[in-house]
Amino acid sequence: MTFGAAFLVHPDLFPARRGGETWGAQAVTINLPGGPYRFAGLAPAQVEAVRARFGAYIKGMGDAGAAVESLVFRMAEEEVREIDTRGWEYGLDLDAAPGAVRLAGMRLAGRLDWRPGLAGSLWTPDGGSESFAGIFENFFRVLTAYRLLEQGGLLVHGAAVAAGGRSLLALGRSGAGKTTFARLALARGAEVLSDDLNALRRTGGGTVVEKLPFTGDLGDSASPAGPLPLAALLRLEKSPHDELVPLGRAEGVGLLLACSPYVNVDPHRREALLANLAALLPAAGDPPAWALRFTLGGDCWPILERQCLRSTPAAS
Amino acid sequence: MPALDSGSILRPARDLRFRRIDDEAVVVRQRAGEVLVMNETAARLLELADGRTSVAEWVEVLAAEYEIDRQALEQDILAFAADLAAEGMLELAPPPEEEESRGV
Amino acid sequence: MGFEQVLQKTWRDNLLFSVLVELTYRCNLDCFFCYNDLGLRGEPLRTDQYLDFFAELSDLQVLNLTLSGGEPLAHPDFLKLGACARELGFVVRVKSNGHALRGEMARRVRDEVDPFLIEVSLHGATAATHDRQTRVPGSFDRLLANLREMLGLGLRVKLNSTMTRWNEGEIEGMMALADGLGLPLQLDPEVTPRDDGDAEPLSIAPSREGLGRLFALQAERAGSGAAAVSVAREGDEGIVPVPLAKHCGAGSAGIAVDPYGNVYPCVQWRRPVGNLHRQSIREIWSASAGLREVRELTARAKEVVDAHGAAGPLLNFCPGLAATHTGDPLSVYPDALRRAEVLGEVLEQEKKRVLLPVVP
Repeated sequence: MTFGAAFLVHPDLFPARRGGETWGAQAVTINLPGGPYRFAGLAPAQVEAVRARFGAYIKGMGDAGAAVESLVFRMAEEEVREIDTRGWEYGLDLDAAPGAVRLAGMRLAGRLDWRPGLAGSLWTPDGGSESFAGIFENFFRVLTAYRLLEQGGLLVHGAAVAAGGRSLLALGRSGAGKTTFARLALARGAEVLSDDLNALRRTGGGTVVEKLPFTGDLGDSASPAGPLPLAALLRLEKSPHDELVPLGRAEGVGLLLACSPYVNVDPHRREALLANLAALLPAAGDPPAWALRFTLGGDCWPILERQCLRSTPAAS
Repeated sequence: MPALDSGSILRPARDLRFRRIDDEAVVVRQRAGEVLVMNETAARLLELADGRTSVAEWVEVLAAEYEIDRQALEQDILAFAADLAAEGMLELAPPPEEEESRGV
Repeated sequence: MGFEQVLQKTWRDNLLFSVLVELTYRCNLDCFFCYNDLGLRGEPLRTDQYLDFFAELSDLQVLNLTLSGGEPLAHPDFLKLGACARELGFVVRVKSNGHALRGEMARRVRDEVDPFLIEVSLHGATAATHDRQTRVPGSFDRLLANLREMLGLGLRVKLNSTMTRWNEGEIEGMMALADGLGLPLQLDPEVTPRDDGDAEPLSIAPSREGLGRLFALQAERAGSGAAAVSVAREGDEGIVPVPLAKHCGAGSAGIAVDPYGNVYPCVQWRRPVGNLHRQSIREIWSASAGLREVRELTARAKEVVDAHGAAGPLLNFCPGLAATHTGDPLSVYPDALRRAEVLGEVLEQEKKRVLLPVVP
């Protein structure tokens, strides 16, 4: 099917450049990993919607230097398809090229362009309201994924939990138990960063996890937190027993690759992605990767505390 | 096209575009890609040919403007309109909506 | 009276006759040399404002209405606005890149807008060159397919091409392509700075040799009886040069309007003379001090060009471009001088060639 046709009435008219009529003259700057990210061309009601969702991450005025800049443009209601969402799984339509990425989704068209720095453009018929916040976030997730990628990091689809100043990142395909795992950790007094999307970066002290305030089931997206050293990568597997099985470095890399949304289907940035994965997991055991086989009724937490949170010294 | 009479109702051809510049009409025939400049009388007839009023009504309007003998005027208008129709600039308007017969 | 005299009258008496409307700066191609000022911001005109504006233009006896952009089809109400323009009796031209003119959309444009002409941009005779300029892979092949489809639908189409350093080697190819499709081709020898003054597009301005070849080819075709290839530029439509006290009809017979309602004397002359959010076109037309200045400047531009004697007409001088290039609408910019020089040389050559058989 033609790119965008599932969401847009006229995919032939998909914007090829960062131009059009913006919604308004307002701007917000949001401080997320890879950022700051500045969004301009907003109408007041759109700013309100963004504030309601990302308020704690919004920076004050006038400190938007070196921000990744995006513009928000108007689109007409008649240009977007109405979608019956009953029993429907939402997936953005992405189309990558060497210097640009196009995305189409529910009530949105977007572009990321490198000229040469990354700049975003979002077209939507929504002038504000709760649904605008959702549209905005869908675009913002892709923007963050690509920004982290170009900075040597990664947006990871997985549940991150923290205890004692260190973090665990649990990955697995949909239904593998990320939210179940996060609930379990929460019940044991750990903090859930996000059970859906987190940022991974390499620092001088090792690989760190940073939470992203994108909507998940768990996690306090309202309060920002700094980066936390990654104690272990976990591949979740539901099982009749609770146990940890060590994984090799290649398995860890494969796991991250499978869980790096948007960018892992981009054929033009495969080398960059592989380079980042190599840097995020530079050696076997740095950080360690495990298969966590866990029971729904049992308790894997003590095993994790013993094996992962205490056995390796905290990177500092 | 049947002969015109005072009851005929005409309209400009669909591909005709025209504007009045002072006392003349600039006429564009889209299909032929042709631009013509026509005189005051042609300009006036193109304006009057609105697809609603009959030639007889044009005569009334123009008689008031020019103070000419009605009969001679009607003959002139019919002849000119026939020329414009033969040139494909004017055409007979389709019969009016059958509103009366439906009693609306 | 002929059409030229009517045009003279519109210039002389300030009768608004041709209006170009940039409906949106959104575009489904990304041409390297596009002149749009994408940094311009404001409140876009609403559809009801366009409808009122068009009605007023019709009352003012404006004949030519050009819908441009960006890509005008990307305006969500393009078809509605086009249909309204048709009903109001305008000669409607659509300046499109042609990328979306296929299938249902092309048919609806024909049936609902019935444009006098669709002007489509051609950027080269090969996919490599065309797509390099549009920066959208596949746009050349799509355009060729769409052109055939449009012709099959009976739409009237003209090809416009701006000559650049990248496509100047393909002029003959573009002419052959146009001939093959039976379409007229208009070549614009001038790459212009962007409307915000950004000179980046000039980095691909055609070479002196390229210009010379274009003019020579044009003369050759004119002599051979082949379909004319006109050399003109944006903003020249519906405005035929006629002997008069003014250099051009900018602000006297024509205007351009951007998506935010700013009114300019011409698409090439981005000197705002009013805004449709604040005033009606009737008010602007009769009372704008800016327009009065522009009309005065076009008269002075004529003096400037006349001072160049026989070379004057070869300059193809444009006060709007002069303003963008130099900040002064009356300053003859280097590109105009170069053009006059090259064209003068070609004409000299042609004269010799024409004279040759006569001289024993």
